[in-house]
Amino acid sequence: MITALVVGLVQGGTFALIALGLVLCYRGTRVLNFAQAEIGAASLFIAWIVVGAWHKPYWMGALAAIVFAVLVGLTFERLIVRPMAAASRLTVAVGTIGLFGFLVAAEAYLNGPTPRFLPPPIRGSIDIAGVAVSYTQLLTFGVIALIAGGLTAFLRRTDFGLGVLASAQDATAARLVGIPQAAVSMFTWGVASALSALAALLIAPTITYFGPNAIGPQLFIGGLASALLGGLTSLSGAIAGGLVVGVLASEATQIAPNGVAGIYTVVLFAIVVGVLLIRPQGLLGRAPARAESA
Amino acid sequence: MTAVLGVVPGAAAADTQPLLDVSGIVAGFGAHAVLHGVDMAVRDGEIAGIFGLNGAGKSVTLKVVAGLVPAWSGGITLGVHDITGASAERRVALGIGNVPQGKQVFTELTVEQNLRLGAYQLRRRERQRYQPLLERVYERFPVLYARRDQAAGTMSGGEQASLSVARALMSEPRLLLIDEPSAGLAPKIVEELFGTLAALNRDGLTIVLVEQNVTFGMQLVHTAHLLRQGRVVYSGDTAHLDRDRVARELGIGRLLQRGGGQATPSTPPGDRT
Amino acid sequence: MSTLQVADTSVQPAAAPPDAQPAPSRRGPLLTPRRSNVILVLLGAILLPTLTYRAMPLLPSTYPLALAVSTSLAVGALSLNLLVGYAGQISLGHGALLGVGAYAAGIVTSGAGWPMWIALPVAAAISGLIALVIGFPALRLRGLYLAIVTISFGFMMYNFVLQWSGFTGGSSGVNLVRRLWGGDVLTAQSDMLAAGLVVLVLAWLLDSNVTRSKLGRAFRAIRESEPVAGSFGIDVARYKLLAFVLSGALAGVAGALYGFTLYLVNSETFNPPVGLDFSLLLLIIVVVGGLGSRAGAVIAAFVFEMFEFLIGDRFGTSSFIYGIFPMLGSLLLMFTVAHHPDGFAGVVRERRGHRRRKLAAAAADESEHPMPVLPSMPRPAEATRTLDLAGGVPLLDVEGVSMRFGGLVAVDGASLTVNRGEIVGLIGPNGAGKTTLFNCISGLLRPDAGRVRMGGRDISTLSAHERAALGLSRTFQQIGLAKDQSILENMLLAQHVLAGYGSSSALVYTGRVARSEEQMRARALEAITALGFGGREDVPVRLLSGGQQRIVEVACALLTDPDLLMLDEPSAGMAPVMAESLADRLRDLRDSMGRTVLLIEHNVPLVLDVCDRVYVLTAGRVLAGGTPEEILAHPEVINAYLGEAVA
Repeated sequence: MITALVVGLVQGGTFALIALGLVLCYRGTRVLNFAQAEIGAASLFIAWIVVGAWHKPYWMGALAAIVFAVLVGLTFERLIVRPMAAASRLTVAVGTIGLFGFLVAAEAYLNGPTPRFLPPPIRGSIDIAGVAVSYTQLLTFGVIALIAGGLTAFLRRTDFGLGVLASAQDATAARLVGIPQAAVSMFTWGVASALSALAALLIAPTITYFGPNAIGPQLFIGGLASALLGGLTSLSGAIAGGLVVGVLASEATQIAPNGVAGIYTVVLFAIVVGVLLIRPQGLLGRAPARAESA
Repeated sequence: MTAVLGVVPGAAAADTQPLLDVSGIVAGFGAHAVLHGVDMAVRDGEIAGIFGLNGAGKSVTLKVVAGLVPAWSGGITLGVHDITGASAERRVALGIGNVPQGKQVFTELTVEQNLRLGAYQLRRRERQRYQPLLERVYERFPVLYARRDQAAGTMSGGEQASLSVARALMSEPRLLLIDEPSAGLAPKIVEELFGTLAALNRDGLTIVLVEQNVTFGMQLVHTAHLLRQGRVVYSGDTAHLDRDRVARELGIGRLLQRGGGQATPSTPPGDRT
Repeated sequence: MSTLQVADTSVQPAAAPPDAQPAPSRRGPLLTPRRSNVILVLLGAILLPTLTYRAMPLLPSTYPLALAVSTSLAVGALSLNLLVGYAGQISLGHGALLGVGAYAAGIVTSGAGWPMWIALPVAAAISGLIALVIGFPALRLRGLYLAIVTISFGFMMYNFVLQWSGFTGGSSGVNLVRRLWGGDVLTAQSDMLAAGLVVLVLAWLLDSNVTRSKLGRAFRAIRESEPVAGSFGIDVARYKLLAFVLSGALAGVAGALYGFTLYLVNSETFNPPVGLDFSLLLLIIVVVGGLGSRAGAVIAAFVFEMFEFLIGDRFGTSSFIYGIFPMLGSLLLMFTVAHHPDGFAGVVRERRGHRRRKLAAAAADESEHPMPVLPSMPRPAEATRTLDLAGGVPLLDVEGVSMRFGGLVAVDGASLTVNRGEIVGLIGPNGAGKTTLFNCISGLLRPDAGRVRMGGRDISTLSAHERAALGLSRTFQQIGLAKDQSILENMLLAQHVLAGYGSSSALVYTGRVARSEEQMRARALEAITALGFGGREDVPVRLLSGGQQRIVEVACALLTDPDLLMLDEPSAGMAPVMAESLADRLRDLRDSMGRTVLLIEHNVPLVLDVCDRVYVLTAGRVLAGGTPEEILAHPEVINAYLGEAVA
């Protein structure tokens, strides 16, 4: 039970990172990025090339992965998101589906079906209250805390960060006040992509081997469930949502009878659909304005 | 100009070179043009008003000048700069301040954060001017100082209007564009707001405003531009206005006939109880 | 919210009007819908299969399989196009619906041993039912949220339901037996291709019947604007569900076809671990082909599948199919969405649209004219009026209506009455709540308090389309028309409640449907000619000037012979010449046509001139109500509002 809790928290932490990226993209550019997790998943292969094929140290692989992810995100932002500034948000979301499909196909084509293995950044574990907690898992918590704190501080304290928040609330007013929308858009997508790579890197050790299209979908649904639960517009909600979803799904898998394959995924989807149908603004978001009945 | 609303607008400078020169602007949305060739010149130091019926293109004109709506043809100059193709952000850096329709303050940020964002471009250029400017703005708007740590969305309509103006002032603009300042505000508040605008103008700020409330607007502006179906059909100094023409243009004419045919203003708003 | 619609960024200054001739009259009655249906059936049942049998021996032996797969993809594309392209409801999990159909067909033929021609309807029914289940969330969720739900559904089907070994055979899957009747089994792929083509033709037929009837019109209206659709009397909820069911049924058939072609479906058929997931593939096909285009969807399906097959065949490597082809497809999707959101069909339409633009340029020139006399269009005798007005009861009675949005009180206990044969005006400053009050009366909003009665009957709980059917017509500030549709389309839409046939008849396009459509069309053309738009009925409303759009809108509102006409700022956007004649037209409505009008206006002189009574609304409350003289003399009114107009 406790093991499941720790595992759940760690997985939830990675979900939180994806959720953070989702919320950033959504708040910053009103786009739901369906490729949010796949960017990170694809970057894992880059990490593998550096560490597994070229035998460089882990930190270089991780760095390469993050750089790759950021490049993908910025390219997509420049080529697809920005020209579509006037298009409906749903149309751009369909564009991100295209990005998702492209990344998965690229993984399959360039890597082939062979699963890859990325060694964990730190080996070993310590004993907390009778449960073995790996250093990697602790690292995950540390990273998330750092990011959450750093991001919040940056957004609240710096001019540019405030500009990002303001643009998310009212993009037109932000332009009229002189906040450069292009820079805000690039920041949003760049950071979201980096978060995606981090999430993938942190979850890699728990799944050991990864192949094309292996971790992306589940990581995305988990992140989506977390973001929705926390209210798609709340950064702190994203983090809290991630932890809740991670633990819920983990415990449910423990409790569920054996032989029912895919219960983990089902729980994630159930959360997604449940939130949307019962309380679309999530637990922490603001109630939506009264919609027209037609 | 009668001193209605307790307001005496500053006299416009008799410069030859306009501060804002809009010529031949054609613009619209999708395939549909809303502006069919707008020509307008605004002198440095004056208050210009754009009037017209709903749908004439008043707000669109302002948005084109602000840089939100691209011009399909025609040109805009601000002082010596040709800003026709410039982004909205660039125009703010060049000296245009915006008070958009509906005020549009950043509701989840505090008053001071709003003001700080108004100075976004300024702080990048000359950071040291920010603090003195902020203090001057707080002096002019003591209500905002009192609520400086309050979320902007919790303030009343009139206070948000003041915040919107103050925020625009934080970029040290030469030209202030205001879209329907009186919308949604009680007459008393509008009076105060217009008084503030007149004072700002006396201190040298050029203002262009779009106003639905013709009477209020006419009391404040030096020059009135009448927009109809995307074209300026009449521009005149309010001191020597062709009132019949204006009334007819705005659909007020028939009322005057019905009410007894007065061509001069009846009881001005400010003097009624 | 409209799906996948984008602001048209083409840059065109208003052109000087050329000397345009009116367009030649519409095509003669040679190719009526029913006749073309018959031709299609002949084509499909006889011609295509014959051609197939002739042609197949000439091609390499692998072609029939590829073409058969393309055919089932084409049916699948038609199904997705119906939902997303016509009705504007996003569905990102459509592949799962195909999967359901395939499994159903498999279980029917191999498990129960029934023939194919029973398996197809069964597949349609089951998939349609499941699509209905997804449709219910669609009633409450729009756009992005609906996309999430459909994706979730899709993945859930793949990862959970279809993995249920006991039920679906898990990874070993289900066999599909191509039993025709008795014990005969179709073994040759070209036979399967012929069967598939027949089904495709029938699907095409169904699709064209949908688009030509009130179904298609209703879908298009819903896609563009649900409030506008509701104001035309369309039951938005019902039609949305119908779109889901139809789409699901077609998808089930497509999946069954696919399954029969491959003989086997398992958990990886529609959601392969590598390669394009079916939902994504169909999405790409439909988007690239052009949303809302039947031909685009079918052609794109064939092009994609044959391309994949031919190139893959040439290179013989699976890495193409599983790697390069999906990459290209995804890139194409991104590119299309970013630069040509209407797909190939849209590009084609753009080129053909030049002629329309010339017509429109001529149309836009006439804004300097006064408003034409509106045609009185009495209801056809068959359509009975449902509202029975007892004498002395006000036609409209609004009592104590309040409406809040979050913390903002938009309308605060407003009451007003409108008697039969009156013109009543509603004035007030911007933001006073006039349009919100209108929305409460017409049913677009459900107020927090208060009652609305029409002819004595309490309509407070009725939806917008139900009130429209009772004889309440309204116009919108921003012109409540389907602006991407033509004038004729809008006039047909406006007669939605007068269409004398049901949805199932529409699918088959019976004689009754044809007659009803002809009648509505005749009425529409009559009105169009009377308004002076003769010869230009195909011009999209968006290309008309503001005043002209308003004319069309009011004429549409009159087409159902309403008892109460609610006009929201009718003079907005009109040139002064037209606005002046508006007063006369309003008087026509009251005196010659016996209508009752409630109007919101900013043009105060107009209101005081034309209205029998006037209400003044400020800050959500009715400040005063009475004759124009009483209002003019009312001190509070002058203070709060009229001062603005009294120069």
